[in-house]
Amino acid sequence: MAEYFTARGLPVPPELRRTPLTEWRRTFAIALAIAVFYISFKVTDIDTSRANLPYALSVVGQLLHFDFLPPHDLSKSVLFPQNEFETFWDGAVGLMVITIFLGILGTAFGMLIAIPLSFLGARNIMAGNRVTMAIYVAVRLIFTIIRSIDVLIVVIVGAIIFGLGNAAGVFGLAFHNIGVMGKLYSEAIEGIESGPVEAITATGASRFQVIWAAVLPQLFNPFVSFSVYRLDTNVRLAQVIGFVGGGGIGQPLFANIQLLRYPQAGTFILLVVITVAAMDFASAQIRRRLV
Amino acid sequence: MAPIVSVRELVKTYPTGTRALDGITLDIQRGEFVVLIGLSGSGKSTLLRTLNRLVDPTSGTVTFDGIDVTRARGADLRRIRRRIGMIFQQFNLVRRSSVYSNVLAGRLGYRTTWRTIASRPTRADVALAFENLGRVGIPEKAFGRADALSGGQQQRVGIARALMQKPELMLADEPVASLDPATSHSVMKYLEEINRKDGITVICSLHFLSLARRYGTRVVALKAGRVAFDGKPHEIDDRRFREIYGEDAVEVEIGVGRTTGEPVEAGDAVDAPALDLRIPPDR
Repeated sequence: MAEYFTARGLPVPPELRRTPLTEWRRTFAIALAIAVFYISFKVTDIDTSRANLPYALSVVGQLLHFDFLPPHDLSKSVLFPQNEFETFWDGAVGLMVITIFLGILGTAFGMLIAIPLSFLGARNIMAGNRVTMAIYVAVRLIFTIIRSIDVLIVVIVGAIIFGLGNAAGVFGLAFHNIGVMGKLYSEAIEGIESGPVEAITATGASRFQVIWAAVLPQLFNPFVSFSVYRLDTNVRLAQVIGFVGGGGIGQPLFANIQLLRYPQAGTFILLVVITVAAMDFASAQIRRRLV
Repeated sequence: MAPIVSVRELVKTYPTGTRALDGITLDIQRGEFVVLIGLSGSGKSTLLRTLNRLVDPTSGTVTFDGIDVTRARGADLRRIRRRIGMIFQQFNLVRRSSVYSNVLAGRLGYRTTWRTIASRPTRADVALAFENLGRVGIPEKAFGRADALSGGQQQRVGIARALMQKPELMLADEPVASLDPATSHSVMKYLEEINRKDGITVICSLHFLSLARRYGTRVVALKAGRVAFDGKPHEIDDRRFREIYGEDAVEVEIGVGRTTGEPVEAGDAVDAPALDLRIPPDR
């Protein structure tokens, strides 16, 4: 086959020039992947000997036997306040609503700080001189550092500052989101077309007017799309920040599991699943319409 | 009469080492329709962009109406820029915005930053926007999205946006290179009209010599960043054509609604090796 190309003085396609060397590399890559998998197992010392399938199945059964189904009493379900000292907001439904709003607040505060910073973290805006490039590098570095600290860790720190509860949770979500949204927004800014920027500059507009007329209109849709995507993620995160003292539905969920109240824990998990699915669907619909 | 644009010993070397302009000296008089021709990479785009300082030249000077463009900074530079309209090969409209707001953006150089944000466009600006949309024949498209228009219509929006500046000079960077022959002529006719009727000086880079002959009052050919020819369009004969575009080039005509010959660029080499694509006998 290769002589067809050589006879006509054409370069031979790489597919036809495959040598044992390239084959050897491929074999090596597969062997390496298997070796890494094996070493992972050895190092982590995965032990499944204590697994108890019948017990696990009984727990799953209890989790699915939600506490509002008979023989449980619907009126005594954790969905609603449990005694005369609790209000609607202490029931699972109320807590779920609170948790959604925790996610919204975390997103909002994160956006508020991330949007202005993202312009400083966009290469195409900051290119030009050394000072602005230094700011660009610094802002991007800050985003990366913030992003690398997981939400749960920030919430624990937040609980030290604000005490246990919703304030710590919102702080944790917002802080982490500055890093994540800052990066997403910066990349959206870097992805804009440069043509309109050039054209508006040529009309004699100032730097700020150029951003206003040529950059911002290109950013509206990607920014809304990323924000909705992060809102979706944040509402999901808001449900676990309660595990470490961040408020919301996570705290009673965690407590019920630890108290082995599986039917009640199952009810909480069901609410969480419904909410996440609904958020996921809504967010996908909104984002699809924005493209 | 003093030239509107005067270029002296202009040199531009890009950071990559490419010497895009290699000592250009040129005077352009008011009312001229100058067509820049030359191969891709001969420096046409760079020259146009140094005239309004979208590109900073390495050395040499550009003066516009007696003002040194190369030394202007800040507000002075912006005052020069707003007197120079520019249209582009890729139209460079804000695609998601309406035609109307794209056209109004041409007026930004005349407004303060504060007024851009704080207030709506003035009645006079809106009237001017519709006047210019009317001139390029698409007032009914004003509130549609810019990217819903055809290529030719988008370029007309580009012209309307530039006209909002009430420019004395219009720069056109290959304005018809993305358009089909018939549309090309319609766009070129608008440029001709603003040149003849409004007296706006036009500097337009083009690929097709036939368009240059049809619309230009003067042709400047660039070759490797230098002026290779400067004169009347009809003075370009076969010998000069080969000097500008190289030995292997053949000229193609571009007419209204028809092309003679293949629509290749004027400078395309024609001796590409013919490939034998028969299936080999062993298959």
